[in-house]
Amino acid sequence: MGPLHELLDQSSLFLQQLVNGITLGGVYALIAVGYTMVYGVIQLINFAHGEIYMLGAFLAYTMVTVLHLPFFVAFILTILLCSCFGILLDFIAYRPLRQAPRLAALITAIGMSIFLQNLALMIWGSQIKSFPRELLPAVFSRPALVLGEITVSWLQIFILTITVLFMAILHFIIHRTQVGTAMRAISHDKVTSALMGIGVNRVISFTFAVGSAMGGMAGILVGLYYNAIFPTMGYIAGIKAFAAAVLGGIGNVPGAMLGGGVLGIAEVLGAGYISSEYRDGISYAVMIAVILFKPSGLIGKPTGDKV
Amino acid sequence: MKKGYLGFFVSLFLLAGTAWGDAIKIPVASPFTGQLASFGEGVKNGALLKGSEINASGGIRGRKVKIVLEDELCDPKEAATVATKLANDPAVSIVVGHLCSSATLAALPIYRAAKLPAISPASTNVSIGKMSPFYFRNVYKDDFQGLFLAKYAHFVKGYKKVAIFYEVNDYSMGLMLAFMKEAKKLGIKILGTEAYTADTTDFKPQLTKFKMMKPDAIFIPGYAPQGTLIVSQAVSLGIRNAGFFGADGLDDDLMLKNPDAEGLFVTTPFLPDKAGPRAAGFIRAYRKAYGKDPNWFAANSYDAVGLAAAAITAVGQDRVKIRDYLASINTREKAYEGVAGKTYFDKNGDCLKDAFVKEIRGGKWVSAQKQLRQ
Repeated sequence: MGPLHELLDQSSLFLQQLVNGITLGGVYALIAVGYTMVYGVIQLINFAHGEIYMLGAFLAYTMVTVLHLPFFVAFILTILLCSCFGILLDFIAYRPLRQAPRLAALITAIGMSIFLQNLALMIWGSQIKSFPRELLPAVFSRPALVLGEITVSWLQIFILTITVLFMAILHFIIHRTQVGTAMRAISHDKVTSALMGIGVNRVISFTFAVGSAMGGMAGILVGLYYNAIFPTMGYIAGIKAFAAAVLGGIGNVPGAMLGGGVLGIAEVLGAGYISSEYRDGISYAVMIAVILFKPSGLIGKPTGDKV
Repeated sequence: MKKGYLGFFVSLFLLAGTAWGDAIKIPVASPFTGQLASFGEGVKNGALLKGSEINASGGIRGRKVKIVLEDELCDPKEAATVATKLANDPAVSIVVGHLCSSATLAALPIYRAAKLPAISPASTNVSIGKMSPFYFRNVYKDDFQGLFLAKYAHFVKGYKKVAIFYEVNDYSMGLMLAFMKEAKKLGIKILGTEAYTADTTDFKPQLTKFKMMKPDAIFIPGYAPQGTLIVSQAVSLGIRNAGFFGADGLDDDLMLKNPDAEGLFVTTPFLPDKAGPRAAGFIRAYRKAYGKDPNWFAANSYDAVGLAAAAITAVGQDRVKIRDYLASINTREKAYEGVAGKTYFDKNGDCLKDAFVKEIRGGKWVSAQKQLRQ
């Protein structure tokens, strides 16, 4: 093998890893947005968000395998159901504690996370489930683009398209609609917003619905991408996405997208080039490094007393 | 099948009941509930079948045998609790167990201190035998398994370049080292080794590296839950011409649900259709009692109970005498003839047994056409 070959191999290895990293980053971003929106509005780190993501994967799996719904129907139904779960979660667990100290809501969030995880364990069992390939659109298992040694699959393209599309929709909602304006108002000052006639609880419910929809969607996409659905999948993904949200600047939606992307690429390149045993360590190290030098995150605004 | 199962237990209970007072207890310790319950089921079925057969043919020295199941969940802490209980029970003269190497390693010092002999039907970790003169096993060790796989990869499959994807634990790393040692002798080139931890679901970064190396095969010395993901993610990355293989850790029906795993092969200590004539009766009785073929856990625990019974028949219920009896089975001529081959022990209480290869064809485990004889 000549040096030119070597160089080509090395660069295609890098590009392939980059494609893997961007896909993973897109998924992290989808979950991170849910954390960051809820935090922005009610300053709560919703630790049960990872479980919504897990439920999304399981619901779609059940709809496809048990109810034999076409994949895209299951995809949309799951997203709607996850929105409802998000609203329900807020209604049952967080709304009664709105005036309580923030620590109480945080502990409730952890409790809900454990509850939902065990509920899934009871319903679906601990074994890893995968979508049966014959029930998925055939195009998912086909490569979309083969350039020498680089393969981009239709599934990767689907994941990235969905991610970008929904981020754009989200951006539009936050900045161009009435409810988005209300969300931004509440994130500045809940009490004053209420005095101005904004239905605070309704807007918070809406925030949970949107965040949970994105989380559930990420769950389905990851379940497809890695072929693995299991009750504890939300835990690690949740922590990673939380890290992504913090990395970008918690409470900041574009920050969550950027954070997700950086974290995904750092993780994959770390696993590919440094050490696959310490891949999680590497991604957290990146996060810590950013927070050390820029405590408000990559594009977060410094705030006085939020954290 | 369910009915037969129930009837079997009822009859076993009645058999045990007739001679309750002076039955000889043989405890069998394994995970019977929890994550690895499916592994323990084979152990339970095999042991109970052997127990009822011994009783049907008159018991040991005219006394009935009672198989006592001890559930330890494959948890070292539980295993130590069970071991302490058994060690302090004067009616217990030998133990069959444990299944997981980590459980065996936790129970081992307790049995050693109580001079209580034990036979593990399934723990393959290399260091067990050396640590106690009271521990025996009728299963091969991981160093043998790794060596055997290297030979099979070389002589039968003709692999020249292999990449290894291992899990960070004693079982997986022991297998990898044994494989690499033999591969070096045989001239198989190890293109690279990559690691993962048990909670990983994304194997693509490491597999992408493997893809560039163009291996003939990828060796996965891990467990099935991760193994199946590794195989399908490799295929989705476009690794199409490489074979996949592993050791007994991948020997799980979970692999069969994965269409990409077609052609994957693993080592196993027992195959129903490759076992000798001795096994025919066992396989028939097993099918009748449980409605399915015995797996290797069942065959090995059937043999382990048989060995324990043979020892008690020969020397009675004295713990040290039983230990000495087992240790004296040290040549091929003196071997215990079981359904999973001959068992005889080296000075550590480890044994040398044949390994077999089975592979996935048409979504089922089948015996590989070419087996490798030692």
